[in-house]
Amino acid sequence: MSSEPLLRVENLKTQFFTEAGTVRAVDGLSFEVREGEIVGLVGESGAGKSVASMSIMGLVEAPGEIVAGEITYKGETIFGLEEGPDGELRKRDDALSDEEIRTRIRGNEIAVIFQDPMESLNPVFTVGGQLREFIELNRGLGEDEAKAAAIDMLREVGIPDPEERYEEYPHQFSGGMRQRVLIAMALACEPSLIIADEPTTALDVTVEGQILDLVDDLQAKYGTSFIWVTHDLGVVAEICDRVNVMYLGEIVEQAPVDELFYDTKHPYTNALLDSIPRPDRTVTELEAIEGVMPEAITPPSGCRFHPRCPDAREVCKRVHPEAKVVDDAGGEPHRAACVQHDAFDVGYDESPPLEGVAGGVSTVRDEGSGDSGADSELAANPTGDDSGGGSRE
Amino acid sequence: MSSGIRLDEEHTYDREGPLLELEGVTKYFSQESGLLAGMQFDPGTFPPISVDREHVEAVDDVSLEVRPGETLGLVGESGCGKSTLGRTILRLLEPTEGDIYFKGENLADLSGEELRRTRSDMQMIFQDPQSSLDPRMKVGQIIEEPMRAHGLLDDEGREARAKDLLEKVGLDPRHYNRHPHAFSGGQRQRINLARALSVDPDFVVCDEPVSALDVSIQAQVLNTMDELQDEFGLTYLFIAHDLSVIRHISDRVAVMYLGHIVELAEKEELFENPQHPYTRALLESIPVPDPREDGARGVLEGEVPSPVDPPSGCRFRTRCPRLIAPDAYDWADGEWAQTRAFMRAIKRRSFESMSAAEMRREFFDGRPPGGEAGSVVEEAIDLVANDGETDREADDEADCWEAATDLLLDSFAEQSVCARERPAYELEPERGDGTHFSACHLHR
Repeated sequence: MSSEPLLRVENLKTQFFTEAGTVRAVDGLSFEVREGEIVGLVGESGAGKSVASMSIMGLVEAPGEIVAGEITYKGETIFGLEEGPDGELRKRDDALSDEEIRTRIRGNEIAVIFQDPMESLNPVFTVGGQLREFIELNRGLGEDEAKAAAIDMLREVGIPDPEERYEEYPHQFSGGMRQRVLIAMALACEPSLIIADEPTTALDVTVEGQILDLVDDLQAKYGTSFIWVTHDLGVVAEICDRVNVMYLGEIVEQAPVDELFYDTKHPYTNALLDSIPRPDRTVTELEAIEGVMPEAITPPSGCRFHPRCPDAREVCKRVHPEAKVVDDAGGEPHRAACVQHDAFDVGYDESPPLEGVAGGVSTVRDEGSGDSGADSELAANPTGDDSGGGSRE
Repeated sequence: MSSGIRLDEEHTYDREGPLLELEGVTKYFSQESGLLAGMQFDPGTFPPISVDREHVEAVDDVSLEVRPGETLGLVGESGCGKSTLGRTILRLLEPTEGDIYFKGENLADLSGEELRRTRSDMQMIFQDPQSSLDPRMKVGQIIEEPMRAHGLLDDEGREARAKDLLEKVGLDPRHYNRHPHAFSGGQRQRINLARALSVDPDFVVCDEPVSALDVSIQAQVLNTMDELQDEFGLTYLFIAHDLSVIRHISDRVAVMYLGHIVELAEKEELFENPQHPYTRALLESIPVPDPREDGARGVLEGEVPSPVDPPSGCRFRTRCPRLIAPDAYDWADGEWAQTRAFMRAIKRRSFESMSAAEMRREFFDGRPPGGEAGSVVEEAIDLVANDGETDREADDEADCWEAATDLLLDSFAEQSVCARERPAYELEPERGDGTHFSACHLHR
């Protein structure tokens, strides 16, 4: 543990400057990835998982911008900011230039696998051609060598008859096969870190199973580290070593996978686990989380989860908890951002409970958790505007 | 069971027997349409032009029943025909063959007007909450539209009912005048529910109603659907690919693969005592949200074959890990399993050319089967082995692999009982007192 992690992200903040205001999509994210481990980044849509992973790759585009934080990879700073003489933020001198990131880091050191394999492959070029070009550019091989390497890679990821399929176009591949091609592309330069952004979400379960097995095998062979972005707690349990649970741009809990499931420290993680139907046993009553995730443009005060939290107390509205170490999980820190833990000491125990679970936000109707158990999902809708409202998903 | 929310309380179906019954329902799609569709030109034959229409066999000879008040889960992977079946039941698609009985009446016999009236008893909820609501209509209009189409109530009555329904599905009646874009995905799915319920149906086909929603919202919508089922006395056909959701909501579950129902049983029986190899594979491949669960996963090989030319007999046989040995040969222990693996490796071309000796070692531990089966295997090995001829042309090589594949498939796979007969067996359930249907010859 004393050795330097492969990737360290510290206090990363990515914001989008829109007409409606500033969206704080990622707000103070800190985590690390060590050699050879799979780190999960879990959350519902809108939690900021994808923005976080794109920020690491330096792929955030306008109107988005990384406004704070430091990203260190193998001891080199790949992103860092400092205040210039004119008071403006500018890139630190010791950070790698865009040029260096493009030629040395992206593809060679850190690769990405996206969710939708159809959109990540160019439909007018053959699958093999695209893979070969990628290898040529990143590994500096000649065309023939690159082709041989590409075919090897295709076989490696379990594509039958790779010589023939090399010449085919993406539309001739099934979803699972396309995802294999993307994995082949990501692995082609033997990167040390792969960011996988919901790579199995669009796939059928049996194909998902095949891909997860493939990742297991390849990881054992190449020792690659992964950041696995997903909303599926089943996948997390299956492959991750350590997990970061995100809610509204922040990490609310960070723990090794076993502790996360069996010694859950944050009410959001708990609620998430209670709300999923299980494949391995019959759950008659699902405990739904009240309400919806508020928009990142106007996050709730204090703890961002407090309007939906079953354990929320008055203090949660005022105090904004940063994730702190609340337990020791066999040498690993178990962090949680919830003031009910002793580490925070802000008077949670004395604080009066909040009225009605979904009380805090500007609810349209607040009839409590009543009969349908879902009324407060309305929270996302603005009040009083009978002409159609302005909030979109 | 309260309230005036039911339009015709006495109309509820309470006779004995199933609410809906399918008998041999089949739906084929022709691949092309138009005047010249399927026209083949082959100058080598006479006449040189022939018409050969290819069909996609989306649903093939499906029989099942749905009982009043139950939720029948229909689960399968994408492309297995589950949505087509759902639409065919509502006669949004004309079945190619087979009969659909709803409340004892054969829907195929109904005239247009009668069918239209029956439709008020059968409604559907679609997967995509975004595209299934007209963005230019207000929520109130959306919910009232089916009532207007079926001539139910007057203007005021419809508005009152729409507001009632909004409340029932967990939305605010004051949102009556909003447009769909102002709602989140979960809320839109609730509007869909309200619309389906507006005509007081008895039967609702739910086609992946929660798969586009986040987990926490999914639970909310599922709970609401549960409550509405009690209150409105609904019967659901719940189509989904997510086995966890199916396990939560269903009473009985049907598993579909490539247009066939492969297994149908009560929920507990199906999940705890699955009998079809496909159901087992499905259940084993779901990632369980429990890190202490050991990851013993029986991953299926290969991909779903095309429904244009589906395998004969059992459609799952091309991927089945338990494909039955053909009786025509004598097999010693383990020989069939090795031969099966070898046959599939050749078919998928999943290894590079090697010498005959290497192949024997790799697939048969150096001891290929004897007898008649052995000679077929040897012939196939000879075809693909690369000893002797060094520089084979790529085309020749491909031909050799194809010849070996054909030889092995014709001699073994096609001879198996799995290829010759379509299986259908009634089993004794281990749990519950229902029936357990499994389409697998292992139960011979």
